[in-house]
Amino acid sequence: MTMHAITPPPAHHFDEMLVTAGAPERGQSQSQSQSAGGQSQVQSQGTRAHYAAYNDWLQSSPEQTLSQRRAQADLLFRRIGITFTVYGDEGGTERLIPSDVIPRIITADEWSYLEKGLTQRVTAINRFLADIYHDQAILKAGLIPREQIEGNAQFQTKMVGVKVPHDTYVSITGVDIVRNNDGKYYVLEDNLRVPSGVSYMLMNRKMMMRLFPELFLRQTVRPVEHYPALLLQTLKEATDIDNPTVVLLTPGRFNSAYFEHTFLAQQMGVELVEGQDLFVKDDYVYMRTTSGPQRVDVMYRRLDDVFLDPLAFRPDSVLGVPGLFNAYVKGNIVICNAIGTGVADDKSIYPYVPDMIKFYLDEDPILNNVPTYQCRKPADLSYVLANMKDLVVKEVHGAGGYGMLVGPAATAKEVEDFAAVVKANPSNYIAQPTLSLSSCPTFVESGIAPRHIDLRPFVLTGREVRMVPGGLTRVALREGSLVVNSSQGGGTKDTWVLGDADDGRGDAAALAKTSEGN
Amino acid sequence: MLSRVAAHLYWMSRYLERAENMARILDVTQSLAMLDRSADSGGAMTPIVITEAQAEFAATNLPATYENVVAFLAWDRQHPSSIRNCIESTRENARAVRGSITSEMWENINDTWIAFQEKSRSINPLMTGNEFFEWVKERSHLFRGITFATARRDQPYHFVRLGTFIERADNTARILNVKYADEAPDSFEETEVDKETDYYRLSAVLRSVSALEAYRDTYRDVIDARRVAEIMIFDPKLPRSLRYCMDEATAVIDELPRASSRVTRRIVSEINAKLRYGTIDEVLDYGLKRYLADFLLDMVKLGNSVNAAYMETH
Repeated sequence: MTMHAITPPPAHHFDEMLVTAGAPERGQSQSQSQSAGGQSQVQSQGTRAHYAAYNDWLQSSPEQTLSQRRAQADLLFRRIGITFTVYGDEGGTERLIPSDVIPRIITADEWSYLEKGLTQRVTAINRFLADIYHDQAILKAGLIPREQIEGNAQFQTKMVGVKVPHDTYVSITGVDIVRNNDGKYYVLEDNLRVPSGVSYMLMNRKMMMRLFPELFLRQTVRPVEHYPALLLQTLKEATDIDNPTVVLLTPGRFNSAYFEHTFLAQQMGVELVEGQDLFVKDDYVYMRTTSGPQRVDVMYRRLDDVFLDPLAFRPDSVLGVPGLFNAYVKGNIVICNAIGTGVADDKSIYPYVPDMIKFYLDEDPILNNVPTYQCRKPADLSYVLANMKDLVVKEVHGAGGYGMLVGPAATAKEVEDFAAVVKANPSNYIAQPTLSLSSCPTFVESGIAPRHIDLRPFVLTGREVRMVPGGLTRVALREGSLVVNSSQGGGTKDTWVLGDADDGRGDAAALAKTSEGN
Repeated sequence: MLSRVAAHLYWMSRYLERAENMARILDVTQSLAMLDRSADSGGAMTPIVITEAQAEFAATNLPATYENVVAFLAWDRQHPSSIRNCIESTRENARAVRGSITSEMWENINDTWIAFQEKSRSINPLMTGNEFFEWVKERSHLFRGITFATARRDQPYHFVRLGTFIERADNTARILNVKYADEAPDSFEETEVDKETDYYRLSAVLRSVSALEAYRDTYRDVIDARRVAEIMIFDPKLPRSLRYCMDEATAVIDELPRASSRVTRRIVSEINAKLRYGTIDEVLDYGLKRYLADFLLDMVKLGNSVNAAYMETH
C-alpha cells in the first residue's frame, strides 16, 4: 500500500501540523497571557501532538483516499449549489469555493485563549462605538485624536445621539486572525460591517462528517452546527419585543454571498427579504406577504450602510427601503449590525483597539494587534521611512490592496517613490511589519503540501458574547501565496477545535485524566 | 409568506411544466413525422403554432423543417419558451427561493440544470431525439414526486401546485385548439377515409397528454374526434384534462389566505362551473375553436388575478 507523502514546510514557516528541523517552536516566545494556551508536545517524527490522531489515520489510508473523497466533495458542493458569484461576461457565473479535505486543527487550550481574547475585544469595540456616537469620553480623554473619528468617512454623523438597543452596535463580528512564524496569533482585522463566510464554515463541517465519518470517531471535534441557532438567539435579543419578527435582508441573488444569505435565513427559519419586499408606513417597517403587510421587528442586513435607505444615504440605491432610517431612529426596528459600525474597523482606528480595551474594560489586551506605525506621529514616520523595505505600508482608508506598498516585494525605486508619497501626506498612512502566515498541509495538485492559512472566528453579541468553537479557515492554494481571498484563488478548510480530552495528549493521557475523576 | 416568494414558486413551477409540455409536443411531433413520410412543412410547423412561437421562429430565418423546428423549440436561447430557457428560468426562480422549498426539491432542480448543461454540450440540436424528451419528462415527474413526498402542505406547496395546473390547462387547450382550429364543426362527421388517416393524429394528440390508455378504458371504441375533445375537456379523472386542472386550481386557491382572494376565488369558480356543468354537445354547438379561445382568455384572467392578489410587490 502506498502511503500519503507529505511535502514538509520550509524551515521559516510555522506549520500547524508539522515541525521541521530548525523551524520555530510553538510557544517559544509566547506572551504571558498566551503561554498557557500554545503548548503542544511534538512527536518524534515531527507531527504536532494534536495532529497525531489525524496523521495515524492518514498514514493508514491508501493513497487515493484523499483524491477520491475530494471528488465526492466537489460533486456534493455543486449539487447542493454552494457557490459564490463571479461577475463576468454573462452577468455572473457561479463558482465553487474549493474546500480542502485536510482539516485545520486547533487545540482546546488555544481555542480557550482565543475565545477569551475575542470576547474581550468585541466587548470593547461595542463600548467604543456607543461612546463615540454619544459621550465621546475616549476623545475627551485624548486617547484618540478627534479628527481620526469625525474625519472618517465611515463615521455616520446621522447616528450621533441615536439610541441603539442595549448599546449593541455590532451583533455579528468576523475577526481575521493569523499566526505568525513566531507561533503567536495576531488580529489582522475586525470585520464589523457585514462579515461573510460562516456558511462555508458550516458546509465544510457537514461535508467532512459525510466524507470522513471515521475521523470524527477517533477524537472529539467540538460541534459548530448550532451557529444558526445562536445567531437567531442573538438577533431576538437585540429587541425587547417578545417573539419578534426577524428577517434577513439580502441585495438579491446576484450578490456574491447569496448562497450564504439563503442558507442562514433557512436555517434560522426567518424570511429572506429584498428591499422590494419591504415598505415603511408611519415609521414602521412592513413586508409584503400573501396575507397582507406584516410588521418587521429585527433586520439582519447583509447590505452596506449606504444602500439601506435612498432617502437617508445614497439616493440611487434600489436595494434598500425608503424611510428605513427614520423607522430605525424612532426605535421601531432594530438593524444588525447597527448603522455606522464601519468606523471601528477602519485601518486608522485598528491601532487603538488595545487602548480601547484598557480604557473601557480596564484590562490588558489578550489578543495581539499587529504592531502598527502611524505615520502621523513624527517618531513613527521616521522609523517607517528608514525601514520601508521591511514593512507593509497602507493607506488608512484604502481597501482591496490599493495604495499600498509591500516592502520586501518592492524595488528600490518603488520604495523611494512611495516614501515621497508618504512624506507628502503622512497622516494618510500606516505601516506594519510583514507577517509570515502559518501554513497547514493542504491537498493540492502536487499532493499534500504546505499552504498559508488564516482564521475568521464569528463572534455574536446578544445579551452575552457567544461563539461556536473555530471559525472559517481560509487557505491560499497557490504555493507561497499569502492571499486567501476566495476571489483570488483562495479555498477553505474545515476548522476543528478539539475537545478537552483530546487535546494532543493521546488516549492514555485522556484516560488517566478521566480516571482521576476530572 | 412573502409575495415575491409566492411569485417565484408559481413561476418556477409554470416553467417546469412548460418544459415538460414542450417535450411532450415535440415527442409526438417526432413520431408523427416518422409515420408520415410525406410530411410537408405545414406539419412540421404544428408545434410552433401550438406554442404561438411563429414570430420568434420567423426571426431565425430558418426553413420550417422538422429538424429546425425541434432544435429551435428545444434549444434556442432567444426563444423564451424553449426547453433550455424554461429549465434556466425554473432554476433561477428556484434559486431565488431555495430556502422556501425542501432541500430535496432544490437539489433536484439544480441537478436537472447541471445535467441539462452537459446534454447541451453533447447533443446535436438537429438530432435531438426521443431520449432527450423522455429525460425532460422524467425530470419533471421526478420533481413533482419529490414535491409530493417532501413538501409541507402549506403556502409554498400551494403556489407550486397552482403554477402547475394553470400552465397545464393552458397547454391542453392549445393542443386541442390546433388540432381542430382550422376545421369546420361538420368535420366531426368524418368519412371512412378521413378516419383512417386521422387515427394516428388523434392518438398522437391523446398520447401527448398521456390520455391514450384513459380513452380506451373510457370508451372501449375507435378513436374519434368528438370523444377526444370530450375527454380532454371534461374528464374529471384525467390529470391533464381542463376539468381536472381547474378542479385542482379551485381547491388550491381555496387553501390560500382569504384576505385578498375573493376575486380570484370567484374567477376560478366560474371557470370551474363551466367545466363541471358543460357538455361536449354544447361546446360543439358553440364552436370548439371559440370555446377554446375563451378558455385561453380565462387562463390569462385567472393568472392576472392570482398575481394581483398574492404576488405584487409594489
